[in-house]
Amino acid sequence: MVEDALLAEMRALQKKVAGITGTAVASRDGLIVREDTGGVDPDNLAALSATWLALAQRMSNEVGQGTLREAMTRSSGGCVTIYAIGTRAVLVIIGDEGLDTARLHRESRAALDAIRTLIAENSPDGPAYLGHV
Amino acid sequence: MDVTDLADGKLAAVLRECAAARFTGVLRVDGQPGGTIHLADGMISACETSGAPGLEVVLLRSRRISVADWDAAFTAAAVSDREMTAELIDRELLGAGEVEALLRTTLADAMFALVSGEVDGWAEASAADCLLPLTPPARGGWLLNEAARRAQVLASFGESAVSARDRVAAAPGTAQATRVLGPGQDELLALADGRRTARDLAFARGRGLYETMLQLTRMRASNVVVIRSFEAAPDGAEDDRTGAGLPRRRKDRPAVPRAAEAGRRGLTAGIRMLRPRSEGSTLLDGT
Repeated sequence: MVEDALLAEMRALQKKVAGITGTAVASRDGLIVREDTGGVDPDNLAALSATWLALAQRMSNEVGQGTLREAMTRSSGGCVTIYAIGTRAVLVIIGDEGLDTARLHRESRAALDAIRTLIAENSPDGPAYLGHV
Repeated sequence: MDVTDLADGKLAAVLRECAAARFTGVLRVDGQPGGTIHLADGMISACETSGAPGLEVVLLRSRRISVADWDAAFTAAAVSDREMTAELIDRELLGAGEVEALLRTTLADAMFALVSGEVDGWAEASAADCLLPLTPPARGGWLLNEAARRAQVLASFGESAVSARDRVAAAPGTAQATRVLGPGQDELLALADGRRTARDLAFARGRGLYETMLQLTRMRASNVVVIRSFEAAPDGAEDDRTGAGLPRRRKDRPAVPRAAEAGRRGLTAGIRMLRPRSEGSTLLDGT
């Protein structure tokens, strides 16, 4: 099932990178597609991530720094990172203080690609989702 | 267990070479968990790794020091270009002996995490900033022997030994049992949800990795906890859906808005909502 495949990708990333405590995929409209957040409210997380991604991308454009790779907040008790998935979804990573950010940057590329493909294959507008149309 | 059994002994050999050459700088270790070892004159002053909580995590998570006090000390140290440890002592947040003891403990724990993990490679680099160096630094040989001793203690439990990457859950029926748990075990049991690894639990409680692994190992030997595969761990969607695939209202959470409910009716329904925006997003893809 696609649901299981998406969760499997999210958990595979969590297994590879020490310090990830939760993951979620949300739409750009702020709705949860799949969540494995470990107790964090997924609806609030989705809504905030969508807004945050839009702001981060506008910031990158505003300062002329090109394509946004990720946006991250660091707090005294951990960190949250978001990545754009195609043009209509966002991947949220919640981590603890020891999150291996170097490995996350490396491993997230393959995970994003796999999740993007999974969503595109099950999206009503298929290739358009990937921005190919 | 001999030191050479840890991480195939590769890292141990490198550290011996560094000690013999009185190397000053950092050793960047690639692997799982990997990390950075700071060396001064061949001795080890710090080890930063995602595999074990450092002093900041230990102090803040245990509430030994408040976040506000830590931040104030950090800012003052940065402004005056002083050592963070000196700032913590001057502000009477920690005693001088306590700082050294805690740094030595967290350093030994970090080295244990590093050398008992997987080492893919390493590279020497010039000295880098280190927030909390141990003064005087520790001998690499002592740290390696200590790591080997810890690994040996865990190995003595045989199949009950819990590794840093094992995901731990309460054993079925443990919640109902009238078992008397040891100090800290009830807290561990409450956090052991099958999603967290031993390493995650160490960070969540602000306790050492070895201490956590040993405690979990004892609990496993007493059938209080079990090792669970990540695939068997529950995820939020399963909790939230009824058999009919509809969202289940949680007692501890207000009803989700109608639009959000639609988003929780399964992946296919969720993906269908990922339609192109009417205005056509011009924002670039991050992949």
